[in-house]
Amino acid sequence: MARYGMALDYKNCINCKACEVACKEENGVLLGADKHRIWVGANAPSGEWPHLDIVSSTFMPSQCQHCEDAPCEEVCPTHATYYDENHVVRVNSDKCILCSYCMNACPYDARYVDDRTVTVDKCTFCSDTRLARGETTTACQNTCPTKVRTFGDLDDPESEISILLKTRDHFSLKSHLGTHPKLYYLT
Amino acid sequence: MRVEVSRRRFLQNTVALSVVGGSALSLGALAAESAHAGSLPETTTTKTGTGSAEIIPTLCGMCVNKCAAFARVEEGVLTKLDPNPYFPKSRNMLCPRGNSGIQTLYDPDRLKYPLIRIGERGDGRYKRVTWEEAYDAILNGTDKFKGLAQILDEEKDNRATIGYSNGEGLSKEGFEVLVGQKIGTPNYVDEISICLETTLGGYVNTIGTYGEADMNNADYIIVAGANRAEAIITPDTMDMFKRTKKRGLTMIVLDPRFTNTAAKADRWYAVNPGTDLAFVLALTYVAFDEGLYDKEFCQKYMVGYAEYKAHILSKKYTPEWAAKLTGISAKEIYRTAREFMKARSPIYYQGRRSAFSPNDFQLRRAMAIYQGLSGNLDKKGGIIYGKKIKLPPEEVNAPMYAQAQTRFDRKGIAIPADKTGSWILFRNMILEGTAPYPVRVMLMRKHNPMSGVPDTTKTEQLLRKMDLNVMIDILPSDTAMFCDVILPEASYLERTSPVASFGGLEPAIVQRKAAVKPLYECKTPEVIYKELAEKLSEPLWKNTLKYDEDVQDDTKGMKPDALKKYYKENGFDLADAWEKTVEESNKERVVKAFGEEAWKILEEKGVYYPHMEAYHKQLDPNTYEYYPEDKKNYHVKGDKIKVVANFTNLTKKGVDAMPTWHDDMAFHVPKGKFRLITGRHAQFTQSGTTNNAMLRDLTPTNYVWINSRVAAERGIKFGDLVEVRSRIGAIRLQAYPTESIAPNQTFLLHGFGGNSRGMEMAYGNGGNDARIIEDHIEPVYGAAAMHLTDVEIRRV
Amino acid sequence: METKKFMGFLPVNAISIKDLFAFEKSFVNLLAIAVTVVFLVMFVVGVGNYLLHGHHVFNVTREHPWGLLIATYVFFVVSSTGLCIVGSLGDVFKFEALNYQLFSKRAIFGSIVTILAGFAVIAFEIGHPVRMMIYNVVSPGLTSAIWWMGTLYGLYLTFMIIEFIFLLRHEMRRAQVFGFIGLAVGLAAHSNLGSVFGFLNARPISNGVYYPTYFILTAFITGIFIAFIMMGFRYKLDFPPEIKKMLTGLAKIQGFLLGAFLFFAGWKMLTDVYGGMPGRADVAVHIFHSWTFWAEIVLAILIPGLVILLGQAKSHVLMFYASLIGMVGVFFMRYNLVHDTQLKPLQMMKTTRYQLPPQWVEYVPSTTEILISLGGLGLAFVMYYIGTRLFDLDESVTEEAPER
Ligand code: SF4
Ligand code: SF4
Ligand code: SF4
Repeated sequence: MARYGMALDYKNCINCKACEVACKEENGVLLGADKHRIWVGANAPSGEWPHLDIVSSTFMPSQCQHCEDAPCEEVCPTHATYYDENHVVRVNSDKCILCSYCMNACPYDARYVDDRTVTVDKCTFCSDTRLARGETTTACQNTCPTKVRTFGDLDDPESEISILLKTRDHFSLKSHLGTHPKLYYLT
Repeated sequence: MRVEVSRRRFLQNTVALSVVGGSALSLGALAAESAHAGSLPETTTTKTGTGSAEIIPTLCGMCVNKCAAFARVEEGVLTKLDPNPYFPKSRNMLCPRGNSGIQTLYDPDRLKYPLIRIGERGDGRYKRVTWEEAYDAILNGTDKFKGLAQILDEEKDNRATIGYSNGEGLSKEGFEVLVGQKIGTPNYVDEISICLETTLGGYVNTIGTYGEADMNNADYIIVAGANRAEAIITPDTMDMFKRTKKRGLTMIVLDPRFTNTAAKADRWYAVNPGTDLAFVLALTYVAFDEGLYDKEFCQKYMVGYAEYKAHILSKKYTPEWAAKLTGISAKEIYRTAREFMKARSPIYYQGRRSAFSPNDFQLRRAMAIYQGLSGNLDKKGGIIYGKKIKLPPEEVNAPMYAQAQTRFDRKGIAIPADKTGSWILFRNMILEGTAPYPVRVMLMRKHNPMSGVPDTTKTEQLLRKMDLNVMIDILPSDTAMFCDVILPEASYLERTSPVASFGGLEPAIVQRKAAVKPLYECKTPEVIYKELAEKLSEPLWKNTLKYDEDVQDDTKGMKPDALKKYYKENGFDLADAWEKTVEESNKERVVKAFGEEAWKILEEKGVYYPHMEAYHKQLDPNTYEYYPEDKKNYHVKGDKIKVVANFTNLTKKGVDAMPTWHDDMAFHVPKGKFRLITGRHAQFTQSGTTNNAMLRDLTPTNYVWINSRVAAERGIKFGDLVEVRSRIGAIRLQAYPTESIAPNQTFLLHGFGGNSRGMEMAYGNGGNDARIIEDHIEPVYGAAAMHLTDVEIRRV
Repeated sequence: METKKFMGFLPVNAISIKDLFAFEKSFVNLLAIAVTVVFLVMFVVGVGNYLLHGHHVFNVTREHPWGLLIATYVFFVVSSTGLCIVGSLGDVFKFEALNYQLFSKRAIFGSIVTILAGFAVIAFEIGHPVRMMIYNVVSPGLTSAIWWMGTLYGLYLTFMIIEFIFLLRHEMRRAQVFGFIGLAVGLAAHSNLGSVFGFLNARPISNGVYYPTYFILTAFITGIFIAFIMMGFRYKLDFPPEIKKMLTGLAKIQGFLLGAFLFFAGWKMLTDVYGGMPGRADVAVHIFHSWTFWAEIVLAILIPGLVILLGQAKSHVLMFYASLIGMVGVFFMRYNLVHDTQLKPLQMMKTTRYQLPPQWVEYVPSTTEILISLGGLGLAFVMYYIGTRLFDLDESVTEEAPER
């Protein structure tokens, strides 16, 4: 099966949050400001007006990194968090006991509690919605005005994402933690 | 407002509706939530399913862009809006507002059935009535207010006693047909005079078009007073930010605030509000002085080129001069001026926003001329003219009313816009009693002047002064609360709209189809127009027969049959404009112009343009090609291109023929005060979107920006409640100390501070800028000049 | 099983409900009763509120998913382990001064009571406790410290109960065997609890070997505090000579442990602050400035330490009071452990414009959390009280009962 990952041309991001809304509508994510699977981080520009530091206010779109060595999976006492056949880190809400260990263990703040099931939820790469219907893009990728994201199979050398990663410099977030994220930020 | 506001009851309605519709509702969230009787559901999002779904092409109606989308409807419930990859303008994207359209559709605060006022204006007491009763109240009034028949009788059929206003959208024209052409009043005001009238006017009068900036091929762009990252315009927003940050497009941003657009810029200049004109004039000076412009182009196409050059040089609009006015250093102005003219494809971005200062018309002229100096017009990478796909026009048989007087909102302005008028002048002249005849009725649709037009107090006075106010809308806005009859309209997702043609580099026609049937008792605008026309037609005709001497002359001694014929032939049958449904007339027009095949494509894909099947390609998961490179309309004008630098006709109207700086344009704020500037965020449009549950999560309220050092001096911290007071009023909202704004300026988001209790989330949330923005107008069109208000800020 | 037979199997005092209320109506007793009843009512109200409104009634958030209830749970299980260790001194390791007639049985019973209280509290923090019991077995997550901790504590409880039964039946050798296994499992469980925090590589402040070892050390300290408190109540502060001897012994150990702990805590803080590691040094500095940190140091270490030092381990009554204070300090210790782990936001950027940049994650327990936590204490009191009535926790028997 596939090994899904995502490349983010993050410099394109304008912090519009269309991705966040599309994700919520697609996946039926709860309303509420901190109930999100996906977000954009931004810093207030440093410096004093009018000498502001433009590059200090870069936007960083983010979501679950779908780590290959996922701390969240490691710490789950009931295997509710698991790698699915496409190496997507998923949560089985029937098994989740809400011990919240994974929320503490994830270095990326990717997890939150879904108040309906009272279990932990996070980005699924739209596996149970769009991918299940045979679509090839995630909701966040598809809706983005500036097309920040490219989603695809890292094992397929011909896929767009593989080509991007072979030809463009990129980095991962908190890579020193050894989580091996499958979200790649293109520079 | 005594209408249901509870989310739970709303959902019960949905359930009931879908049962009536024959399909049981089993979709996750909605069903699950309705089971939790007693507690408010936290969600109206619905996870999309994997089973069968109807996919219906629609056009977004959350803002003005009209992005194409596909609606996913599962068991009668709209579960998702996806971008439509066929429309070149929206380039397979939906912004946050577009995505959250579902929340507007299922907003529990929607107007659900016709309402008639039973309390006093503004107190929100209404009675639920049938459509027939509502139409009847418009015609005949109730014990609380007079009806159209009586008012027009008293005014002796002076149709101009009716004012009307309308919001932007695809059904806008129909309302203008109904009230302007059929009922016959000239007194129309809309968003144009509080929006981009001067921008359009300045450009059209200078280069003949507002044009389209070819962001995909430009290599240098000055973006002044346009915040494309937050006030999204398609396709500009999508195209430009893929290439900024040293990836092919150098971007210089001028804005008093450090916006998200500034965050993407190569350089950001914190220009003083209202002084952009000085900046452009200085750029122009450098171009002339250093000979850095396309001389050949100017000699050929620029009208008044020599005079303009002499004007600029003799006035000594040097960067040193401009530096003092704009706050941008001379060095930076030189640098920008030289870089611009040396770039391969430079664009001084037209921008698209309200007139902020009285010199806005001249600013736009100066910008357009400056663009002309670069010669980068009507070509790849420049400002292009493009083409539009023509659709057969829809004929309207408009009657003539001899008693109808002409519009009056033109006092003191140079080029009154006959069609759209000047909101502020219109309102103020009525209030001051300088209107030549009484205006007694306001028929309004999808328009909320209480929030949109500067000086809410006066707008409220205007509405209170009227004998009859009618609102057609989807939510009980602040303005609706001053209306006597409120008609609930189907939202854009519940209606098929007239086909529209979008021109430009890659033109296309698009059609919005109803994704779901109108909820509750709502009706589509066109059905409302038709039914209202049917109701009003004969009674108003009788009034015309009673007072209109021309008609009396024409019809003297006519038999009933002949009279009937006259009535029909001369357009007095108001409903005849809607003999065909929108669906029928769309089909007819498209088939007539492009044939059956085109109609099939449009029905299925929502978009059509000639050769679409052959041209449209997906290049990679994120990129589509709409037209092959050689079929794009980069170059359409040929030698017909014209840049009017010296517009001598303007002098006769008292307007400078060439952009000129006047000393009174300088920026000055009294000590201790702040210049109030206004603007938008990407997550909402106007007052209408502040009740959207999803968007509210993203931008919960509006804050007032205050420079953090000034805030510290005054002991104001983040989230502190402050009062912002201008000459005309005061609002209270929370403070946001930030270095992204100058010490003598302040900013707050437009659209918040709702005052209608019927809008649960918008009510009392934040501050309404229209309450404190003074109603200045610019002298050319009488458009609102929004950035002239100084305010005081104090902690409360 | 008939009562008689059961009583034959397990020496239980035949008491009626009435007996439970037959106690000396002294001021201290009445006060203790009142406090216990209030705590129990709190428990009922807190749990009721939770059952009615669900997880919302807790102030835990996305950024701070573990709150007061986790801290309280840790507090109880550390107490339990501590009592188990102290009890084992006499029972398993046969330290003369601490032999079980004097304290071991009471300690083992206390360890059962406290861990039950801990389980009762955590049952309401875990979203799905029943599901936990099923899937812990059906699909065990063997890489999860929580799984090991939970499972080992389950085993531990079982062994403690078995040990207690043998103690009651005076089957000392069996008691010793199970006591030893129980202690081993308890220590394993307990250090695993430390590793729940120690494994978090997202949280440099907690990551590493410190917590697993510190947990054992502080458990021992806690056990001795509780020993003083229990004995204080048992003898109404009027200790017989053999008890005095025992308490002096315990106090000496405690003095040593507190010294060691101060040494560990000091170096932990010093290496954290001056190690300069991002996410650890800054957090440590922040902790250094928090009052709860100083509450922990002063109440749990300095005051009891000074009392022991100045009284040369012989001021038993003062030690009783110092132990009460020490337990408050221990509670802060648990709270700090949980809270400090989550102090530093994992997402340091603003996610909406109108917010202050994330700095430190704030957490204040909600009323319901406080109610349930204090309620847990009430449960422990009540169970302990019933136990003192039901079982002879300090009968003096010197010979082993005959094997059956
Ligand atoms: S939709 Fe795209 S541009 Fe908008 S916030 Fe998300 S990633 Fe950024
Ligand atoms: S980002 Fe967090 S939730 Fe996602 S796989 Fe990694 S550790 Fe797990
Ligand atoms: S991939 Fe899907 S689930 Fe994940 S953030 Fe994007 S839209 Fe949400």
